[in-house]
Amino acid sequence: MAILTRFDTPGRLLELADGDREAWSDTVAGLVADVVGPFPQFYDPTVTDTPDDIAPSHIIWSAFPTRLLREEGAGEARWARADSVRDEQDEYCEWSIERDADGKIGRITFTTEVREYWKHVAVHERDRLLEFYHEQVGPQVSLSDLLDEDGQYVPRNRWNISTEGRLIHLVQGNNNLEAAIQLAAQATILRHDSDGKPVTDRQQLVRCGGLGHAFRNSDPQIAEIVNDAAALGAEITLLDPFGLYLDGLQSAGMQTPDGADAAAFWQIERGTREHALRASFAVPEDRGYSVGDIMINGRAIDFGAQVADKVRIRLSALAKPATHEPVRRPCVG
Amino acid sequence: MSTAAPPHRPCAALEQQSEGLDDDAVHRFLLGQDNSPQKLRQQEASSELGDPFAQHLLLEGVFPRTAGEVLSALEQAVTADDPLRTQRFFLVGEGSQIADMPGSPVNRNLRFLVTCGSGQGGPDIMVSAFHPDEGTAEVMAWDRRTGGFNFYRTVGSSSAWVFAGNSRHALTAPTRDNGPFESHKSGHFIMKELRFPWVHWDSPAAKVSPSVFTAQNLDDHPWVRRLEPGGAYTLEDEVAIPSIQRWTQTRLDALLSGTSQETPKRLLEQLLDTPTVNLMSSITSSAAAITGSEPKVDLPDTFFVDSAGLVKVGLQPPTPLFVASEVYARSLQTFEVTLRDDEQFNRPGDTHFAFVVPERAFEDTETIAQAIDRDILSKRLVASLLMVDFPNPVFSARRRQLLQHVPEIADTADFSEQVADAILATPEASQAGTAENEFAERWNVGEAFKDTFEGLLERYYSDVSAKLETQEGFDDYMRLAESRRERVRQMPIAESKLLFAHTTLTLSGPTTMLMPDRLMRPDGTVEEV
Repeated sequence: MAILTRFDTPGRLLELADGDREAWSDTVAGLVADVVGPFPQFYDPTVTDTPDDIAPSHIIWSAFPTRLLREEGAGEARWARADSVRDEQDEYCEWSIERDADGKIGRITFTTEVREYWKHVAVHERDRLLEFYHEQVGPQVSLSDLLDEDGQYVPRNRWNISTEGRLIHLVQGNNNLEAAIQLAAQATILRHDSDGKPVTDRQQLVRCGGLGHAFRNSDPQIAEIVNDAAALGAEITLLDPFGLYLDGLQSAGMQTPDGADAAAFWQIERGTREHALRASFAVPEDRGYSVGDIMINGRAIDFGAQVADKVRIRLSALAKPATHEPVRRPCVG
Repeated sequence: MSTAAPPHRPCAALEQQSEGLDDDAVHRFLLGQDNSPQKLRQQEASSELGDPFAQHLLLEGVFPRTAGEVLSALEQAVTADDPLRTQRFFLVGEGSQIADMPGSPVNRNLRFLVTCGSGQGGPDIMVSAFHPDEGTAEVMAWDRRTGGFNFYRTVGSSSAWVFAGNSRHALTAPTRDNGPFESHKSGHFIMKELRFPWVHWDSPAAKVSPSVFTAQNLDDHPWVRRLEPGGAYTLEDEVAIPSIQRWTQTRLDALLSGTSQETPKRLLEQLLDTPTVNLMSSITSSAAAITGSEPKVDLPDTFFVDSAGLVKVGLQPPTPLFVASEVYARSLQTFEVTLRDDEQFNRPGDTHFAFVVPERAFEDTETIAQAIDRDILSKRLVASLLMVDFPNPVFSARRRQLLQHVPEIADTADFSEQVADAILATPEASQAGTAENEFAERWNVGEAFKDTFEGLLERYYSDVSAKLETQEGFDDYMRLAESRRERVRQMPIAESKLLFAHTTLTLSGPTTMLMPDRLMRPDGTVEEV
């Protein structure tokens, strides 16, 4: 792996001119530079070598927020709440739903694209910003919908705020690349509780270290894995291309009216199979039925969140052996 | 037709009576039916075993000795694009989340599970072993001719394989409850901790500490390196649930087509009795609760009612129920809750996730759900039965009492009406306080039962919530939980002392006392029987 020449675009997207891809690398480098100093066990792979034999740790979780499972129980209420507003979708994955005139779900679109990239597009390739929106939402979008009075891109614009229609990228407050990098870096700090005992339980660690929400699927797991590696003196970074990815749909057990494998209805729209950023779940028209006719565990799909239960999100990290001797610090949260 | 069960022949008998079998051969040994293992001739094996494990290996004269050899042999036997080449590796172990501590060994009972294949019905082959390269291996493989899983195992370190039955043998005498079916009660794949946060499994909710692998000399083993990153999350969705649904569907197909040996009464055993259980816990870790970093502990709703069953018939489960962390922590002290294995490990505290309790098994709720969907059982009957002694979703002697009245008929048409009529016709149906009388009250509400039943449930949920506000109330629920855990400890699926924490109430606990049976009442109080 050696030293990375530059940070690639999320999903290794090739849609930007080469110079603008280089500029994206600078953007990520800036986010990394912010944490490398304060957190010596987090390293910049464009500056420091990564040995070739280091296998990445793939961290997998469900797109459905566990926080809602805990607060609403296992029934329908949790799905309704997750579908109600994007701010509830806090697992580095958001989704929006299209229904037919009868309210039956026709398509669900999932994204893990970070807002930083779209801000970058707006700055460096403004002409193409609208083009991308037209491709993914439709021709009804105008540039003025996407920019504020000062001409700055508005991530939470009218076309990318709802759980209905076709969303573009992540907007929930914690769902961004900077937060993921900050979390991975801050989790390199070992903690002890007020009695001096090491904090290793992930829920306790997240509270203690101020590392996000204890009942997100993502943050506590990332924090624990990074913290375990840091305890061994290792240095940590994320795997290029930095980003959150749709790892796939767990479709076994989904029952379709014609017996087809529902996995075939999962279409990656941006990124690659290995680095999927945006995907939709929809049934081709010629089959004569729609998503709302598919059953999951004996129940027809009536919520996008039912499918979110089955969507896997992935972040990949690298931990290379090193000789740090970290000192445990008291809790901050 | 179901008949009275013969003397119980546990799975251990299978191994004891299988010593000295011929190497490089497959033997049939259906405990309860066969007196001893019978070596199968090629033609017999070919006609009996329609699964890909037998067809690719055993019938081709390939007899691996270990789980690792099974995988290697399968890889060589099928083409590169065969779905059986899709292997996924999983790990479970009671206490597996306890980090290794020098000088304090823990018997974590680690077991690997490897699945081969993928598809809507889950994988076709599951291989289970304590170690990839040593000891016995167990295989479940989907029979593509007859349906159901064929159960196999090795014996000792030999290359003799024993075919111990098909899922259908779990359903009826003389093989039911014998051999593998003492644990696989209805012939299903077992994942006891089926639902999030999958206590005891390596999962996104709780990873097995790397130090555990080091302690077991497994940290560089390929099976550890290939552990599925999604862990139990993937196992639940891609293996356990589709496999259970697959066998249930096949089983009900046979019942409806008149080709099954079982009767619809067997289905109702899975509603009225508790043949097996799943284990559920809080999402909150015990450590986070005890240290106060989490102010409250969520409790499994299935401890209080059969939520999945209620939802299936259109009734509301409770809103999430919580107890204050300090109340939970005090209760752990009161009952001297400790984690201990069967050797020297002993540490104060609860399981990794707090408050592990049994719930109605998914294989049972799925059976009832599919039976409703296929008009074998009516929602009215299921709702009326579920609402008998509803505060005790598992181990209800009161609901089990009703089983004796269920007619042993093969016809599924009007079965629900006949069950109701049979119970209503008993003298007890008109005697206040009996289970039959309680059923009669529920049944007589009629088809529009939702409001009446939800009224009962809401009062109960409200009373339970109030009890959870007090130390005394929660302590009673700890006693009730321990009473139910004790039932599970007597089941064959309880393979480790670390399955649950131990308490002063536990029969083998430090201050042993006889544990009385405990029941929840509809007012949220706990009754000692």
